[in-house]
Amino acid sequence: MMPRLPGVEARNVRLLGALAAAVVVAFLLSLSVGPAGFGLSFPGEAGALIFREIRLPRAVLGALIGGALGLSGAALQGYLRNPLAEPSLVGVSGGAALGAVLAIHLGLSSALALALPLGGLLGAALAMLAVLALAGAHGGPVTLILAGLAVSAIATALISLALNLSQNPFAAVEMVFWMMGSLADRSLTQVWIAAPLMLAGIGLLLTVARALDALTLGEDAATSLGIDLARTRLAVVAGTALAVGAATAVTGIIGFVGLIVPHLLRPLAGHRPGLLLPASLLGGALMLLVADVALRLLAPWVELRIGVLTALIGAPFFVWLVLRTRSELAP
Amino acid sequence: MARRSFALHGLMAAALLGAAPALASDPPPAKPLRIVSLDLCADQLLIELVERNRIAAVTFMAADPAVSAIPQKARGLAVTRGAAEDVLRIDPDLVLAGPFGVSATVDLLRRLGKRVVVVPQPQDLGGVADAVRSVARAVGEAARGEALVADFERRLAGVAPRSAFRPTAVIYQVGGSVSGPGSFANSALAAAGFRNLAADYRLSRGGQVPLESLLAQPPDLLVLASEANEYRTALADNLRHPVIGLLRRRGASIELPWRLWLCGTPHVIEALERLGAARGRLEARAR
Repeated sequence: MMPRLPGVEARNVRLLGALAAAVVVAFLLSLSVGPAGFGLSFPGEAGALIFREIRLPRAVLGALIGGALGLSGAALQGYLRNPLAEPSLVGVSGGAALGAVLAIHLGLSSALALALPLGGLLGAALAMLAVLALAGAHGGPVTLILAGLAVSAIATALISLALNLSQNPFAAVEMVFWMMGSLADRSLTQVWIAAPLMLAGIGLLLTVARALDALTLGEDAATSLGIDLARTRLAVVAGTALAVGAATAVTGIIGFVGLIVPHLLRPLAGHRPGLLLPASLLGGALMLLVADVALRLLAPWVELRIGVLTALIGAPFFVWLVLRTRSELAP
Repeated sequence: MARRSFALHGLMAAALLGAAPALASDPPPAKPLRIVSLDLCADQLLIELVERNRIAAVTFMAADPAVSAIPQKARGLAVTRGAAEDVLRIDPDLVLAGPFGVSATVDLLRRLGKRVVVVPQPQDLGGVADAVRSVARAVGEAARGEALVADFERRLAGVAPRSAFRPTAVIYQVGGSVSGPGSFANSALAAAGFRNLAADYRLSRGGQVPLESLLAQPPDLLVLASEANEYRTALADNLRHPVIGLLRRRGASIELPWRLWLCGTPHVIEALERLGAARGRLEARAR
């Protein structure tokens, strides 16, 4: 018998176990799908290379980035107690893309590879702080979304400006690259530079589980339970910036994963934000891996961008959430 | 800058759309003395066909070694940003424009009474002579135009393959796009004796080939249109991918800078000669 950890009921273990098993299956599926054919092993040196240099980075980034986005969404929704919070909607992804664009176009990333995810991290952190300052600690869902919209608009305009000013004939195409993320043809190099920062962010966000549970009772009650609100805020901001900043820097903006996943899992997690964090980490990885497999199966000869697919699924979901939030907020 | 990317995308659009606008039947030309060009490709034809003192302005791209085949010849010429107001200030007696991206400017200049000639964008090598002749006629240098065409066709004949050996090739660019069937680059590959593998990847004129396809079905010759560090852009990541380095170590590859084949001007012959030489090396190795 395993010792029972406090607060970890059998039901929770089953939920997380089932999600983890599904992630493993989706990961193997992702490794099996590609234009060269279905399967996990191919004959010859080319086959080994396809596997190691192309499909492995794609699957690893899919799992890590999906997990980072799902977890960030759950942490933001829990911390802000706001059902519409999500990295791309609150401007964090836009800020990350801006930071990455500047790192590339100022030539920093060609001097030091790590400058790329660090640029994304810095942009994401600034965007996050700007949104929190704009929306205030007690702003409602609508205020937060408006603040996110404003920050996103500024980030998009500055990305556009940077691309226009660069001596670069690909500016228009590159705009699409950043706005609609893709996992295609990423390399292990990009995994190595982004994964440590993403993992650090994921680890940091998982530490706020208890604080988010306490926050459902209100800030005063949470403080009386011994929750350090300032520390929680720092962990959420830094964790999101690390996870989303590094992810966006290597793939561009992949939206709505952080919105959909926590909402789908919340009933299963018994509406406990603390349990929702690890569940959304696994759920996000699952969603992005499945979406990436689906787009390679649906359109094998077009490099359909995964950001397009998540937006096509996520935007209607967002509309539905807005309608629901509106009816809840109606006097 | 914005205009440069705009113009380049115009060129790509030309390749994608396959449109070839008809040349207006202009009145018999005198010799214009203040000529302005609003198009990178027209710039290069103009520079080859007239004396420098008759060129009032070219685009600022003409002197850019990344996109112009003859940047050194363009250096020192006055440049225009291409806005109608800019052109009117120069007061030219002839304006050369490309077929894409500047139609509003062209319309405006024509309404204001300027003589504008739209230089056709060749869709294949056969169109190169037409483009040369249209500019030569417009600037009143028909004889120089014919000399340029004759030289081009002589060198083109030299590139033509003398055996049935047809290796495969792929032109791989920033962002992973390849030049597919129907593109100008495709006709250049064919003229140099290559079979464009882009068709086998089930791609149409333009399109992105997944690196996995490139690895599973590698071409005999990998043609790289740019270097990874030539532009600061996230799109060049595909050129830095270890798989490209590996393909280059294992098989034949050449760098064929964009500037050599971006425009359908006679300068494309240098690209063709490099392709022809690469084909010769492949054939020698195959024997």
